[in-house]
Amino acid sequence: MEFQVPSLNLLIVLPVLIVTGWGMLLMLAEFFIPEEKKSWAPWLTMLGLVLALIQTIGLWGYNGGTFTPKGGAPMVVVDNFATFLNIIFLLTGILTVLISIHYLRRTGLDRPEYYMLLLFSVSGMMLMGMANDLILVFLALELLSIPLYILSGFAWPRPDSEESAMKYFLLGAFSSSIFVFGIALTYGSTGTTSLPLVLERISDAGMLGLVATAMLIVGFAFKVAAAPFHMWTPDVYEGAPTTVTAFMSVGAKVGGFAAMLRVFVAALPQLGEAWVPAVAGVATLTLIVGNVVAIVQPNIKRMLAYSSIAHAGYIMIAVAASVNSPDGVSAALFYMLAYLFTNLGAFAVVIALEHKQGEGVMLDDYKGLGKRRPWLALAMAYFMLSLTGVPPTGGFSGKFYVFRAAIEADLLWLAIVGVITSVISGYYYLRVVYLMYMYDGEGEVVANRALVWTVGLTALATLVLGLLPGPWFDMARDAALQTVQMVAGG
Amino acid sequence: MPEVTIDWYVALSVILFSIGALGVLLRRNAIILFMSIEMMLNAANLAFVAFARHLGDLDGQVLVFFVITVAAAEVAVGLVLIVTIFRTKKSINIDEIHLMKG
Amino acid sequence: MVEQIVFILVSLFTLITAVVVVTNRNLFHAALALMASFLGVAGLYVLLDAGFLAAAQLLVYIGAISILIIFAIMLTRRLMHALESPFNSQWGLGAFTAVVAFAVMAGVIAQFWPVTPDSVTPLASRPEVSASILRGSVAELGRALVSSDAYVIPFEIASVLLLAALIGAIVVAWPKAEDE
Repeated sequence: MEFQVPSLNLLIVLPVLIVTGWGMLLMLAEFFIPEEKKSWAPWLTMLGLVLALIQTIGLWGYNGGTFTPKGGAPMVVVDNFATFLNIIFLLTGILTVLISIHYLRRTGLDRPEYYMLLLFSVSGMMLMGMANDLILVFLALELLSIPLYILSGFAWPRPDSEESAMKYFLLGAFSSSIFVFGIALTYGSTGTTSLPLVLERISDAGMLGLVATAMLIVGFAFKVAAAPFHMWTPDVYEGAPTTVTAFMSVGAKVGGFAAMLRVFVAALPQLGEAWVPAVAGVATLTLIVGNVVAIVQPNIKRMLAYSSIAHAGYIMIAVAASVNSPDGVSAALFYMLAYLFTNLGAFAVVIALEHKQGEGVMLDDYKGLGKRRPWLALAMAYFMLSLTGVPPTGGFSGKFYVFRAAIEADLLWLAIVGVITSVISGYYYLRVVYLMYMYDGEGEVVANRALVWTVGLTALATLVLGLLPGPWFDMARDAALQTVQMVAGG
Repeated sequence: MPEVTIDWYVALSVILFSIGALGVLLRRNAIILFMSIEMMLNAANLAFVAFARHLGDLDGQVLVFFVITVAAAEVAVGLVLIVTIFRTKKSINIDEIHLMKG
Repeated sequence: MVEQIVFILVSLFTLITAVVVVTNRNLFHAALALMASFLGVAGLYVLLDAGFLAAAQLLVYIGAISILIIFAIMLTRRLMHALESPFNSQWGLGAFTAVVAFAVMAGVIAQFWPVTPDSVTPLASRPEVSASILRGSVAELGRALVSSDAYVIPFEIASVLLLAALIGAIVVAWPKAEDE
């Protein structure tokens, strides 16, 4: 190879360095800033995330890696795939900070550690998309998860929050040990953990490689909350503070898919015959379980938990399609971008209605919202339509690209399952709309300025992705192609 | 008697992993669950070391360090959660936490 | 011959203590069995020429992790005398899942079993490398962990991970402001 990637190019990992460094900075700043000025933490966090976002956007188009072992492939790669995902993660972080500020104050959870852990978790997510080595994927997964375990339990001593943290922790640790065993078997059968080298050698790995793949699928399926490994999701989403639920419903899920796409599409395409049916099966089960069980949930956080399970199913369709369709990865990326705005927007409305911790989260609390807060109700209705997949919304565009990729990849039946379950999902999403406009009700709504801004911005973004999906999908396409090329070439 | 080969170690590690998984799926006490998870990580480490020995390179051993680090981080977080939940509920049995139910 | 006997003894010790961990009703005994099982794994590391890892295993797993677990047991010790069924309510389903998973993996292992050094398996197909590479490798390991052309980035991430875990543990363990 003539072109030598410099062994250390810290500039390209600067966004991650900023985010982790900012977490530590926050920790130090806590000692120097007097107690009465504690409101600095969210804005300082936001500043760090915005700086990292600017850096990340500047890296669009860059394609390279750093930390290259002797004779190996770089451990960290920065390509458009990673950059696209990093933008998603940083936006998730920024929007989460916006919805957290007031919520944390009124629930008495306002401590600077919340934001530190949030930053560490975001840096773990960013590394998920950039990791080009299985051990780095594992460490990034843990860096993403460990702060989330704590954040789920942040409302201690409330029993539901503590239980949620415990449950998340035990099942998360269980799934990581399965995942790490999968890495051990991959290492044993190929002699490496570097993804490009795994790609070269996996076809000789035999049965051991297949078992390793199966264990990696289980590990990822837990993380993205796909059935039958979803059982932790509803309780954790319900018990965790709502802002944390919002954060993990997007961040942890997209993080899991980031690494899953990189590992399965870039390193294990030759085993596609084995893992595509498995992923397609998991997707089918996930779609059915998520959408059907969501119907009977009286609590909006639980309903959105099952809804997030169902959306993992739609992204899984794109993953299954990504070996045989050039647009599989880009459909997944676009879907996640649309899901980010829609889901965080919906959670922002949930937070506005949750005037006290754990109160105002039943579906009945949404009765009459259309009269009390017409704009908020309109936004919520729009988010619900987007989650269902009705045009013109980002959710519709996402589903359209996903199903098209599935059909291209000869997975027509999977696309049909997707369409049918989308129709089923209309029942529970539109019920929220029905409750908001067809009933009278009274309940407190706390919408401060940051929250209103979040709702407005996410609704606008969802609308843009719905009306003008083309340019954004082209971006996702740029992001997807280069992953495959880069690894195939290196 | 046949030589001790890599496969003996892999078989041992798979059995150890399965015992750990069995513990997670069958028991109801959070601390026992946690211990079983640690055992599964140990099984993975054993596999790494055995493969490293077999392949004659050090990478497997380096990876074990990272797994040990993660185990240490998990133990800190896990046990503090277990103790906290015990303070509130006076129980750490997962049936009351409905671990496997959706 | 000696190697086989030592391997069998050490692995039996590891497995039996592991079974004790998942079946014993007494938490404290289970924790002690876990320590023994960790010790067995350390012994296996020695057999695999990974002496330094064996030492790390003793220090971290037995010296730190097991002791922390015993701390947790003592802090929640009323439970030791509780009269609850040791198995959870879904043990039938759980047992089924675990047995099936084990059977699948055992089937895979059986693919390359019984093994003689020249049997064709994905693992045995690679040449054995002289053990001198692995012996006395502490310096190599140390260098690998901090070299920019080796594992420095996972190393740094692992340190951030530990920091995050520490902050998290302190946040949860620290009394809330209103309790002070």
